[in-house]
Amino acid sequence: MATSTESVDLVGDEAATNLARAALFAALVGAFAYVSFPFPLSPAPVTLQVLGVFLAGIYLGPVWGGASLVLYLAAGALGAPVFQGGSAGVGQLVGGSAGYLWSYPIAAALVGAVVHRGTTLRDLDTVGVPTVVGAMTAGTVVIYALGIAGLVLVLDLTATEAFIQGAVVFLPAEAAKVAAAVGIVRSDAIAAT
Amino acid sequence: MTLSYVPGDSLAHRLDPRSKLLVQAGFAAAAYAYTTPRGLAVLSLLAVACLSLAGGGPRDLWTYRAAFPVLAIAPLVAGATLGAPWFRVDRAVTTGLASYRVLLILVVAAGYVRSTPVRDSRAAIQRTVPGKAGQFLGTGVALVFRFLPLLKRDLLTAREAVRARGGGALPVRERMRFVAVAGVNRAFGRADRLGTALNARCFAWNPTLPRLALGPADYPALAVGAGLLAAAVATVV
Repeated sequence: MATSTESVDLVGDEAATNLARAALFAALVGAFAYVSFPFPLSPAPVTLQVLGVFLAGIYLGPVWGGASLVLYLAAGALGAPVFQGGSAGVGQLVGGSAGYLWSYPIAAALVGAVVHRGTTLRDLDTVGVPTVVGAMTAGTVVIYALGIAGLVLVLDLTATEAFIQGAVVFLPAEAAKVAAAVGIVRSDAIAAT
Repeated sequence: MTLSYVPGDSLAHRLDPRSKLLVQAGFAAAAYAYTTPRGLAVLSLLAVACLSLAGGGPRDLWTYRAAFPVLAIAPLVAGATLGAPWFRVDRAVTTGLASYRVLLILVVAAGYVRSTPVRDSRAAIQRTVPGKAGQFLGTGVALVFRFLPLLKRDLLTAREAVRARGGGALPVRERMRFVAVAGVNRAFGRADRLGTALNARCFAWNPTLPRLALGPADYPALAVGAGLLAAAVATVV
């Protein structure tokens, strides 16, 4: 074992809890990949991963929410089965769904920044429904814009082809996720914040 | 069946995780730089070699089944046109090659996942990324591996509970809400207990890492990785 002679640099109480929450949320987004709902019009079953991205931004804020999704990507790249259909590996980060995956940290940070109007968390009871819906709409736009850009770059499709294959069929399901997230935020169902 | 670490004594199992990561990066770069039938033929041999050196086989690729439809449909979407000639073969071939290169990168990545325990991956991150960022990534990744199965079970339990109470008749939106609320509450509960436990055990930014050293077998692997990267860079310059 390597021996270290420097003194121990303890992680503070708050940082340790935030790190634990970021890691648990990353694992939750991964676990959401296994819960699929059949959805009318959608060619593939819909999973809750994007909902997890929104909730990470809303409940952890822009900094730790974004950091949480960075952990999700790192863990997936190193072999945790957290990507679509329980897959893993660096390949996914440069494959067909690369654009969607890389957009998650950005979308979570954006949703958090809009909902909390800055980096300090505010009480979610004081946040209006239009702000929450606006934040998630912006997040959805980021996810699909980068997702389509990813398809264009990775699979040599044109933007229109990528839009048809990678966005049109999934957008109705995204609306259902935004509605579900608003329901969660407004219902006080989440105990710890 | 999901792809995960399988204990073993293959060549890939004995390599340092850092050299395996370099090979993957080099392979991905080369696959993007040489997306030609000849280039991909050579890379196919290399990809199969990487996976079999890790003791893996075609069964390991089943885990990527969710990614296959997109890769399979993309060439058809790219080839289809509105109006004559209705289907352009050249466009379909270009996208087909692009799809195939993604498949090859997935094969190589499967070899890494099969042959590398979490502990080694974590040590590789913390030794490569400096400072607190590296510690955050390393610890966080280890925690994700640890808690993923627990949260998966939490979600499945919540889903069973919703179904048992006749929740199947509710709109999808409501079912999503119930499952997500249960998941987030369980995640927060576990995170707060974990945070307290980490503090109680003197969780530090500078823990002692497992030993990681390059062995004789690593030098050829590093050479392959660096060679692939150099070949990819050569096409750009």
